Amino acid sequence: MIQLVNVTKYFNTNNGRKYLLKDVSIDIPDGNIGILGRNGAGKSTLMRMLGGIEFPNSGTIYSEHSFSWPLGLGGGFVGNMTGKSNVKFVCNLYGKTKEETKDIVEYVKEFSELGDYFDMPIKTYSSGMKGRLGFGLSLAFDFDYMIIDETLSVGDAKFKKKAKEALKKKIETCNVILVSHEMKTLEEMCHTGLLVHEGELKFFSNIQDGISAYKEINK
Amino acid sequence: MRISQGKSGIIWTFLEPFLQIFIFIYIRIVINEHSGHHISSYSYSAFMASGFIAFNMFRQILSKSMGAFTANKALFSYKQVKPIDTVIARVLVEVFLTSCVICIFIFLGFIFEVDNFIPKNIVMVFIGLVWFVIFSLGVGLLLGIGNFFYMSIGKFMNVISFILLIFSAVFFSLSSLHPTIREILLYSPLVHFMEMIHGFYLYGLDDRYVDYIYMLYWTIIPYIIGFWLYIRLEKRIISQ
Repeated sequence: MIQLVNVTKYFNTNNGRKYLLKDVSIDIPDGNIGILGRNGAGKSTLMRMLGGIEFPNSGTIYSEHSFSWPLGLGGGFVGNMTGKSNVKFVCNLYGKTKEETKDIVEYVKEFSELGDYFDMPIKTYSSGMKGRLGFGLSLAFDFDYMIIDETLSVGDAKFKKKAKEALKKKIETCNVILVSHEMKTLEEMCHTGLLVHEGELKFFSNIQDGISAYKEINK
Repeated sequence: MRISQGKSGIIWTFLEPFLQIFIFIYIRIVINEHSGHHISSYSYSAFMASGFIAFNMFRQILSKSMGAFTANKALFSYKQVKPIDTVIARVLVEVFLTSCVICIFIFLGFIFEVDNFIPKNIVMVFIGLVWFVIFSLGVGLLLGIGNFFYMSIGKFMNVISFILLIFSAVFFSLSSLHPTIREILLYSPLVHFMEMIHGFYLYGLDDRYVDYIYMLYWTIIPYIIGFWLYIRLEKRIISQ
């Protein structure tokens, strides 16, 4: 379970404070959660708060689960280092042994299909390539929750299909929190939905209800 | 990191200090010839090299720690990485590079048998350098945090560091100056560090102008302010 207690999050803009979450208290049961909301509603910020790299202005988020780093488009890599050394670096961060690291490097290299680019600096990558690398890397680690921000939409059709299948296999053993604007992906991957809208969070125990509500506010 | 720029990055990391030192030694010789000064009792090469390498390290530590948060923002995606780690990592890299440069200079000193390139008191020179690193890290952390929120601090420091280079007793010894100027310059902690290193390095010089208590204040106070700010602002640095 993920528990939010009196969580408030705002950003200061030129026209005063913009509230993403306003004194939200909610218990989110475990499961594959699809996050819905319009652009700028605070979906990504919510993900970053769950991942522990952004913090509420007040209130607390409790959970005994482990969360992956928020998997977004291209974040989390050092531009001057090669894809391979970035993978090694993350393995070090998570305290993997030398053998485990070697296996992970092999796995990511194969999964991301980057070929020679795997040994080139990240700054030479296109955003699709970064997405592939990041996605492959996150699959190699075990978390209770995978936090995925739109990454499934990167890459060509073939890779998308492959990524979806890999993720489906992965969520047999872990849960996923997924941000996507593709309703089809959400339906496929998630059971429950969470709608972020005008400073509030609404939980739906059925993703279909969440999607209808989302379509309602988009009218 | 400079090293990761390939071969030319590595070569220039080590070539740069040599070129700079040679230029400064040359300028110093020209000035001395014109003003008709007699040659001092200590050797220029060792004097210049010891001061300049130390000062260069200070300057690099400052500029690297000021860029640390922005440059490593991508790494804050992993909650294991704290902003202060990036500053410490960069300082360690600079210390390592400086140690390499020092080793090369000592090696060259042996080969060309430069006059009194072996320090008078090697232990105290070492202590002076280590203390200087600790001091630089404190100032670097403080300025790093400042620069993250106010970009002007970085720009300002770029200008200041050049002025500091001229007035930090890197190229001259305090004993050669007029007492009034000496007193003014001694307000700068850098002058104390330079005098300490020079004083223990070269025969014919000593640490008579060095105020160790003053240096201690300048070491501790940046750490206190730096850590206080860091604890308050860490979350903002991560999430910005």
